[in-house]
Amino acid sequence: MNDTEERMSLDRINMTVQELLTEMKDKSEVIVDLAYASLMYNSMDMAEKVSGLEDEMEDLKYAVRTKVLLAARTMEDAKQFSGILQVASAADRISHAAGEIVKLLDVPLENRPFITNIINESDEKIRMTRIMPNSDMAGNTIDHLAVEASTGTKIIALKNRQGWIYDPDESIKLRAGDDIIVRGSEDGFDRLVKFASGQMPWVFPEEYEEGEEYEEDEE
Amino acid sequence: MNRVESMLLELKDTSEFMIDLAYSSLLYNNSEIAEEVVFLETKMDELSSKIQERIVSIGKEQPEEIAKLFVILRLQMAVEDIANAAASIADVVLRGLGDHPVIQMSIQESEVTIKKATIAGNSILKDRTLGDIRLGSHCGMYLIAIKRGNQYIYGPDKNEVLREGDVMIARGPEEGADFFRGLADGSEREI
Repeated sequence: MNDTEERMSLDRINMTVQELLTEMKDKSEVIVDLAYASLMYNSMDMAEKVSGLEDEMEDLKYAVRTKVLLAARTMEDAKQFSGILQVASAADRISHAAGEIVKLLDVPLENRPFITNIINESDEKIRMTRIMPNSDMAGNTIDHLAVEASTGTKIIALKNRQGWIYDPDESIKLRAGDDIIVRGSEDGFDRLVKFASGQMPWVFPEEYEEGEEYEEDEE
Repeated sequence: MNRVESMLLELKDTSEFMIDLAYSSLLYNNSEIAEEVVFLETKMDELSSKIQERIVSIGKEQPEEIAKLFVILRLQMAVEDIANAAASIADVVLRGLGDHPVIQMSIQESEVTIKKATIAGNSILKDRTLGDIRLGSHCGMYLIAIKRGNQYIYGPDKNEVLREGDVMIARGPEEGADFFRGLADGSEREI
């Protein structure tokens, strides 16, 4: 356990400041989505993932600080680097806010009925759907499908035979029966559901051709 | 949805938009966009105060609602903190500390990238509304802002009509970026 922790922090030290900052930015975005999703689906498991990410962000922030301090040689360096440190702190702060959001799971459900409403009405929706056996998505990786580029919805969690995976790696293969939780627009979700249910064939990016007809948004 | 809930919804949507704007200001080291983040931050403060005042006055009249109101307060504070974080990112730009290549690269390499594209005369997006083209669900790219002449339109709504020369700033996956640029420069003819 200690060995692993040691190795992980060493890995971080081997990352460049830019890589560390990229990871912090990515995590700062997904952690907020997961935090709201955990409230929406009342998932303790997801909330734990958020707490785990929050700890990782803290480690990343320290790794950035360490590397940046080592690199500064001149006054000009120091000025420039203070900006980098500020961005790292801000990303970390976002993750703490996400941590505060998931703590609301401890409140009895009847005292937070409005949270689901608010999340449902947001510009960024969080929705769940299932991959059906006749869907073109089944058997393909998230990366190959380019799910976000094709539908405008990003998979933030998925449940397969092994259980839940949060912030799944792009190389993960989707299978029939998998449940996916996505973040994106309502319109994008409607499109995703057509693919996931097998109603509409997947249009792979390289073979993009004449689009299908989609109904207009209601309203 | 009651009034407090609608205000909280606005607070949440704005906080997320501010994060997108803040990272955009950093990527382009653009102080105009950073100023918008700071402006939204002051609006967030006002809205937060209104929510808190409202919570207190409802609590006085309906003490049985206190447990729920407390949840609203906690959520409001978390959301406000996200907005503050966004403002502190924009502050880096406003202090002139945002032009380090490490910062720009870290955003470019991110899973969620930010891209710019200009609407060409022969673009199929020209003279169409955002609601009509629905960029987001077709290439994953959501518009954060449009620069028209010297003016920015932040968080354009679906009735906004794209014009030739508009510079679109959008957020989305790297895989969607080429198609997005192609649509803008006229090389992609179908959406």
